[in-house]
Amino acid sequence: MAEDNREPLAGAGALREALWALLPPTKEELVPELGEKVELGMARLLQEATELFCGGRRSECLQASEAILDYSWEKLNTGPWRDVHKDWRRVYAFGCLLKAVCLCDEPGNAPAVAEALKVCDMGLLMGAAIHGDILIKVAAILQAHLPSGKRPGPARQQPGTKKARNDGVPVPDVASERPVPRLRCPSLQHFRKQFLAPGRPVILEGVVDQWPCMTKWSLEYIQEVAGCRTVPVEVGSRYTDEEWSQTLMTVNEFISKYIRDESRDVGYLAQHQLFDQIPELKRDISIPDYCCLGDGEEDEITINAWFGPRGTVSPLHQDPQQNFLVQVIGRKYIRLYSPQESEALYPHETHLLHNTSQVDVENPDLERFPRFAEAPFLSCVLSPGEVLFIPVQYWHYVRALDLSFSVSFWWS
Amino acid sequence: MAEERRGSWFGFGFCGFGQALGSGRGRQVHSPEPLETPGPGADVCRVSASWSYTAIVTRGGQVQLSGAAGGAAGGCRDAWASEALLVVLRAGPAVGSRPELQAWAPGSALRGEPLWTHTLVSEAEREDAAGGEPQARALPLLPGARAYVSPRPPFYRPLAPELRARRLELGGEHALLLDEAGQVFSWGQGRHGQLGHGTLEAAPEPRLLEALQGLPMAEVAAGGWHSVCVSETGDIYVWGWNESGQLALPTRSLAEDGKTISREAGWPSEGDSDVRTVGSEDGAPAPFIAIQPFPALLDLPWGAEAAQASCGSRHTAVVTKTCT
Repeated sequence: MAEDNREPLAGAGALREALWALLPPTKEELVPELGEKVELGMARLLQEATELFCGGRRSECLQASEAILDYSWEKLNTGPWRDVHKDWRRVYAFGCLLKAVCLCDEPGNAPAVAEALKVCDMGLLMGAAIHGDILIKVAAILQAHLPSGKRPGPARQQPGTKKARNDGVPVPDVASERPVPRLRCPSLQHFRKQFLAPGRPVILEGVVDQWPCMTKWSLEYIQEVAGCRTVPVEVGSRYTDEEWSQTLMTVNEFISKYIRDESRDVGYLAQHQLFDQIPELKRDISIPDYCCLGDGEEDEITINAWFGPRGTVSPLHQDPQQNFLVQVIGRKYIRLYSPQESEALYPHETHLLHNTSQVDVENPDLERFPRFAEAPFLSCVLSPGEVLFIPVQYWHYVRALDLSFSVSFWWS
Repeated sequence: MAEERRGSWFGFGFCGFGQALGSGRGRQVHSPEPLETPGPGADVCRVSASWSYTAIVTRGGQVQLSGAAGGAAGGCRDAWASEALLVVLRAGPAVGSRPELQAWAPGSALRGEPLWTHTLVSEAEREDAAGGEPQARALPLLPGARAYVSPRPPFYRPLAPELRARRLELGGEHALLLDEAGQVFSWGQGRHGQLGHGTLEAAPEPRLLEALQGLPMAEVAAGGWHSVCVSETGDIYVWGWNESGQLALPTRSLAEDGKTISREAGWPSEGDSDVRTVGSEDGAPAPFIAIQPFPALLDLPWGAEAAQASCGSRHTAVVTKTCT
């Protein structure tokens, strides 16, 4: 697919050809097929933009695609995300497609290629698949055509130059806490009977030893494969803080700002479906066999990346699906509370945060939350190669003890 | 968008749909140009702009659509345009018959049958509708102030009479109501602080803006996710989403685009805002405000007093008493 092409912009004509080869051949096939949710005005604009595109009127097409993005972006921000109609996300993705290809139409304009890649990523992050996931293919081609100065390469700094952040909290004394049981490659039946059915956590060892990520992944590799891709980053100690926010940046920017540099702020590339965005990384992982014990289809499993420096915290919370948390790089301290203890965990009352506890697990305010002290829990330090099974609705708290990369699988 | 100016109409903004604005040249009209639809000398009394088309009503009762939707019809007293629905208030077909509210699909060009109709039956409604023009109570507020029209079902929404609504404005996900006493009420979604009650919670029923009590308001306006009101003394209050700078408060997106942020747009004088501190180039922290959940008072340049305010999805325009 993407050649490792070291020639600087001589390939500009090749870029254009490669992009156009991906597109549907006729105007009629290029216009996205949409339902009634997309109103008259937008339907007309989409037709017009496609005509401008096919007619080679690049700067007018760019203007029209900006208008498409502007309006559909507003639809994406109206109501809760789950209620946003998929057609509007397709419109947004289509606007990104036109804009990205138009941006690259100027031969020899290097910054335009980087910007086009960002636009593709916005389409992937916020939009919905169109034309057979064309944005993923466009992104791969753009990435291959970035001039060598901008292409993600092995980092020049040594990993050791990252400054250790002193967060003042020592490594927890896990030995004094009740441990999560561990099993080496249990059979499907054993796992189902002893852990899945009764909803009991367990650490599975030996299950992901053969996954390529265990040997391939490093900061350098991640930068090489994904460095210039745009990803969502959470900034702030924890998502229950007032100062917490989400922002977008490239993986290179994230690594340089929050992992290599000493930064007062904690940045966390958290809960992001990175492997949908970057298929090359998806090839380094697999799906735990035990997921077949569930009712759902394999393609309904949500795979999230969790990548961040030492000290990232996920406050105590519960999720509506079963979870396999695969630890690839670094270690995490994890505490687990049964759903039966929910009252002693004082969940927030607002609808938005009702699945999150108000208690700061490693520094609880026992005056406000007295029952928390008595709530029983299991804990562990999850290390590379280990998989933690978190049963549905089981409360869990996670703190990274090192630079960490985990992959979670939400399944039913 | 279009603004009223002593009997002549001007317009500017995005005209990618060929909405009639003066020259009709190009897609974007950067400075106000005279409105020449429906024709020179037409006495326009109401303009309602949606994204892809505009509805223009003349004192003679003609409504004309311009842009992605076309068409015209007579016997019309008021119109309200949205992408999903065009609502018109028509006089009854015969003399003395009841006025009718009609909702049309914008693409219908006002031909065929409307999607639904509602006859104004109560005395209060009919008196209001029959009264002098232009309508004091404009759509989406219905004459009689007992109900309003929504582009999403249910389309006809009653209002408690105790509210004594004078004006009603619809935002993307919320509604603002100005009552006879100058009090402001809000309801709907609150995720972006657009309700002004200090939280991000939704409000299912009209709720009084307590922060503005004692300050009689003269005008209200609602944008996509923000709200503006103008007091009788010409002060402007803003609240809601500021991601594009629509509240004239410092915003990250404009700072990164290199645009200067007007220092005359003062700081919020009250209320708890969602402030994030971000380092700028020279290392000095510059607080940006993404969401303003309480009304904030704005200072206009040169101490000007506001007469009227209007909101687009993500921008705000203010007309001052000295007409700038």
